[in-house]
Amino acid sequence: MMQVLSALASLKLTLLGMVLLGIGAALSYGNPVETSIWVLVMPLALLAINLAAAILTNPRINRQPGLLVFHVGLLGMVVLAGIGRLTHLDAHLEIGKEQAFSPELLMDVRKGPWHAGALDKVVFTQGGFTVDYAPKLRRGLTHSQVFLPQPDGSMLEIDVGDDRPLVLERYRFYTTHNKGFAPVLTWIPEEGERVSGRVHMPSYPLFEYKQDNHWIPPGTEEDIKFWLQLDTGMTLEDAWVLDGRNSSGVLVVTSGDQRVELKPGEETQLPHGRLRFDYLTTWMGYRVFYDPTIQWLFFVSVAGVFGLGQFFWKKLSLTAWTDDDSPTDNNNGTANKRGSV
Amino acid sequence: MNIVAEQPWLWAGLLAYLVATLVAMWGLSPRLVGSESVQSHRHERIVLGAIVLGVLLLTIAIAVRWVRIGHGPWLNLFELLMSQLWSLGLIYALLYWRLPGLRPSAAIVMLVMWILGSWVLLLEPADSYFPATYYNVWKWSHVGLGKVFLALLLAGVGLGGVMILRLTERGRRWFRAMPTDAVIDKLAWRLMMLALVFDSLMLITGAVWAQDAWGRYWAWDALETSAFFTWLLLAVGLHIRLSYKVPPWASGVMIISIFVLAFVTYFGMPYVSTVAHKGMV
Ligand code: HEM
Repeated sequence: MMQVLSALASLKLTLLGMVLLGIGAALSYGNPVETSIWVLVMPLALLAINLAAAILTNPRINRQPGLLVFHVGLLGMVVLAGIGRLTHLDAHLEIGKEQAFSPELLMDVRKGPWHAGALDKVVFTQGGFTVDYAPKLRRGLTHSQVFLPQPDGSMLEIDVGDDRPLVLERYRFYTTHNKGFAPVLTWIPEEGERVSGRVHMPSYPLFEYKQDNHWIPPGTEEDIKFWLQLDTGMTLEDAWVLDGRNSSGVLVVTSGDQRVELKPGEETQLPHGRLRFDYLTTWMGYRVFYDPTIQWLFFVSVAGVFGLGQFFWKKLSLTAWTDDDSPTDNNNGTANKRGSV
Repeated sequence: MNIVAEQPWLWAGLLAYLVATLVAMWGLSPRLVGSESVQSHRHERIVLGAIVLGVLLLTIAIAVRWVRIGHGPWLNLFELLMSQLWSLGLIYALLYWRLPGLRPSAAIVMLVMWILGSWVLLLEPADSYFPATYYNVWKWSHVGLGKVFLALLLAGVGLGGVMILRLTERGRRWFRAMPTDAVIDKLAWRLMMLALVFDSLMLITGAVWAQDAWGRYWAWDALETSAFFTWLLLAVGLHIRLSYKVPPWASGVMIISIFVLAFVTYFGMPYVSTVAHKGMV
């Protein structure tokens, strides 16, 4: 048993594991989603076994508290990162002003097989937003308004944006550059119930030149095309603030060879019903992130570095920095003493 | 050409570095073996004084630019090079002062510094703009730790260079005033160990910042991958020395490779991927 452990604890295996990890990192570069996770998992598993064996058997590591804390920290990080991958959730969300969050709104969801967060307990309602722009359309701070219901029935208004995420049930909602306008429409069919909804136009101002979308009313085959002509005060030369409240739009509706321009409150008759442009509103795009290990990762990594710091401090303060305490050597280019650092 | 306010200060700072470089090189000359000022290390005071003066002038250059454009030197290459010249000079001056054993290697260190120095002279001091993600407080610790990390590597390059140059007769004469290779090697790897501490902290604070800024702490983008390689190579270097006898010149090659990787991470990666550290529409 001990022999097996000692073999597994070989420092040469460490070097091999590190080289394999380097190759895995190179393969993962730029494309962590498409690269097989195994190119990282295999070398990390090898290093973890190697390191665990070394911690158990090698007195050079387990008799030196600082070094031990550091290496245990490394092991802890690998384990935590693994748990993180198994339990994480990553997604995007587009949510309209005055719309309440619901888990069905999440898009591009990627999650680990053990993900078990309480997403259904996340409750908030999106408000408006503003985004500051410097000249040449350089995006500055985003202020997105979010309402949280309070136990007394009132709504708490908070401001999130950029590096101030909305954190609910450990889900972190980060505003993104993806945000824009949405006409709120009501469809009044010849027969049946009227429906109201919003059509999200592409991200603004990124797709300022193609604010279009289309919609097929339920029960029909009529493809209605929308084009939104916006007036947001956007300028290239000066700083400006993107704000839904200071923006207006005219909705160009095309169906077949019929084309009409609607202002908010106006409606038009189409072959299968009437379409009303109620008003113009906005939507905000979030990146949703859930990983229950991030605080632990932070804590373990900092503790590890402190261990390393302590180890070095002790080691470095024991011997002078530039005295020769390894008299086996001269400056003729011969080898230094093993591990003489 | 339009000269902006910080440029004269930058040039003056580089001039001071030039003096430090030349005097450091002068001090190595085999012809000066008997020279009184070299024997009594008086020229080292000039080297130290010139680096400190350069740092002061660069401080003014950075401050003047900061006032002019309204934010610190965090963003474009001109700013990154200028602030690295400042911090590398500052930290190296401290090491030079506290560790007399490494002083002659300043000739190598200052020559390497001129890669940055001549590069910054070729760049337009274009204004940069301040993206939303840069208001984050972690920026300060991330950048600060990275500066210490790179400076420690740079000092290591000086020592690594000495161990390599000492393979030749001429190199042995240039660096005759330095301790044995064994001592230099020990000192160099101590600097590498400290570098690993600062590198690790830089990666941790960078990950926290990335989580805040982009909603993920690690995503193998160009900068992150390159920074990880540097960290891993440092670990490999330290571990190779645990398993094998490493001749001093090979030790020097390892240290220089680590520095080259770090250098590419800092100054090459912004070319590969600009989005990582900039804001989008
Ligand atoms: C993966 C990243 C790793 C890093 C960054 C790292 C870093 C370090 C450092 C800086 C030292 C001190 C070097 C010295 O005293 O000269 C050290 C020592 C040591 N490491 Fe690691 N290590 C890592 C992984 C491992 C693994 C996987 C093992 C498993 C075998 C291991 C085993 C050891 C041992 C046995 C020492 C002994 C130190 C001594 O003799 O003083 N390390 N490591």
